Amino acid sequence: MTGTTGSPTGSVTTRDLTKSFGGVRAIDGASVAFHEGEINALIGPNGSGKTTFFNCVTGMIRPDSGTVTYQGRDVTGLPPHRIARSGIGRSFQLCRIFPRLTVLENMLVAVQPHGLLQRLRGSRNPADVGRARELLARVGIDHLEHAEARDISYGQQKLLELAGVLMGDPRTIMLDEPAGGVNPALVDRIADLVRELNAEGRTFIIVEHNMELVMGLSDHVVVFDRGRPIAQGAPAVVQDDPLVLEAYLGV
Amino acid sequence: MPNGSSNVRTSRPTAVRAARTVALLALVALIVLFPSLAPDPFILSVGVVILSYAVLATSWNLVGGFTGYISLGHAAYSGLGGYATALLILRTGMDPWLALIAGGLIVAVIAVPVGIASLRVRGASFVIASIALVLIVQLVFQSWHTFTGGSNGLRVPRPFGTEVLRPEQHERFFYLHAVLLALALLTWWLIERSRLGAGLKAIREDEDKAQALGVPTFAYKLTALVVSAFFTALGGGLYALWFGYLDPIFQFSILIGSYMVLMSLLGGVRSLFGPLLGAVVVGYAVEVFKSQYGDTQLHLVATGVLLGLVVLFMPDGVIPALTSALNRRRGAASIREVSAEELANQREETAR
Repeated sequence: MTGTTGSPTGSVTTRDLTKSFGGVRAIDGASVAFHEGEINALIGPNGSGKTTFFNCVTGMIRPDSGTVTYQGRDVTGLPPHRIARSGIGRSFQLCRIFPRLTVLENMLVAVQPHGLLQRLRGSRNPADVGRARELLARVGIDHLEHAEARDISYGQQKLLELAGVLMGDPRTIMLDEPAGGVNPALVDRIADLVRELNAEGRTFIIVEHNMELVMGLSDHVVVFDRGRPIAQGAPAVVQDDPLVLEAYLGV
Repeated sequence: MPNGSSNVRTSRPTAVRAARTVALLALVALIVLFPSLAPDPFILSVGVVILSYAVLATSWNLVGGFTGYISLGHAAYSGLGGYATALLILRTGMDPWLALIAGGLIVAVIAVPVGIASLRVRGASFVIASIALVLIVQLVFQSWHTFTGGSNGLRVPRPFGTEVLRPEQHERFFYLHAVLLALALLTWWLIERSRLGAGLKAIREDEDKAQALGVPTFAYKLTALVVSAFFTALGGGLYALWFGYLDPIFQFSILIGSYMVLMSLLGGVRSLFGPLLGAVVVGYAVEVFKSQYGDTQLHLVATGVLLGLVVLFMPDGVIPALTSALNRRRGAASIREVSAEELANQREETAR
């Protein structure tokens, strides 16, 4: 399913986004448009600003200048929870879960509706728990719901993080190296999940170093180098771009 | 096979729940019977002190246990609660019980700007900010003679008439503290089960991750702090009504705040009754040391040793350590017991 291909106002769009750390311009006037309804990939050499870009889009870092819009709405500089509420879920590069909460409790954190009374409601109500179990079953770790998250394996933690993000029901999901540090079988499983979820209408923006995965999975690829996009397009096109080869090989 | 494991899962909580109910009833019975069991008024007054510690530690745990923000300056809220209660009675002639509640509300309001300022920083910086708060308040209450009585202290009018003798006073205040403790515990329990509680615990574990999942972390932390300050102030106010005298040096001491932290850590900050257990152990130990060795600083040394032992051997506190030991002996279903085969079967089932 391709969805609304090529509508640049649809998903995450940035204009002249800039962020410096001291003298280093981590993001240097990046203008990028991700495609709604597609699996977008963000690739580039180490230190090209991919994670900083992620953090600026999701509000973890405030950009120095430039704008971030999501579905036509300006979300620049909003706090992370507001951005999450607007429909962007994210995972972290080094998988982050709540170590001393159980797997099920980890899932229930993402249920934070509006209104004081709703927030004071029991978190273990049947509706929320049911949905959490469904998602845990979907990623394949429902049998671990009573285990503390710190006790499960790294691969299982990655799946838990993904399931937790899904619990918030985001329309757009940003994954920072979903295949980093997991075994090949699990990489396939995660790729299948991404495809299924995309087919259900969710947009993905994925930072990934595993080129085989990126080329096989994505519809649209953005290549970053030194804090700005140097190429965008279908995987096959980007792969042969001389600028991309130069950035990666350092010619 | 999956059926078998799910049976284990459902039967375990019922046994645990039954054990919990029995323990809770025993606790309530012990508290109700304590005044009649106490051999003399002194022991009863020790009981009041321990319950007061329990109220303060449980109130502290509303912010410390949920959010992981360790405040060493919570004595600011208990002391302000005491002074607010006393000053309202003295200056406005308000009914003492009404003054107690009004004092709690005033301190809750004060906690809002304090929280907005201090909850911006994490870890050690927050600890230092909390210490700064209690020192500032101490200085103000020591210097402002005309309003607070300054370092001469402040006599708090007794809420019960002179016809109520000392032992009777102790008994009444023992039950009043017990009721306040019950309210604080109930509040902790209700928050623990709520979505708010889920968000707060997530903040404790990983604040940025919690916010990325949509938890309004700042508002949640502030809520926890204000509720905690309210109960801490009620605890301080009730103690002031019982003790009848306030001295800024003792009311706003870092030591009192440290006791709240130590008690909570000892019992376990992630469990409902952890701070209560810690208050009983530490409170009793402090009183014993004081009565045996007088006004020496020996009880501080003992408290320090105790804190060291807890951090070394039971970093999660006594209650979590015991529960997990018990679970291990019972052989609760661990991850390793689910074989790869079972996993594959389950997956096939869900796929079908």
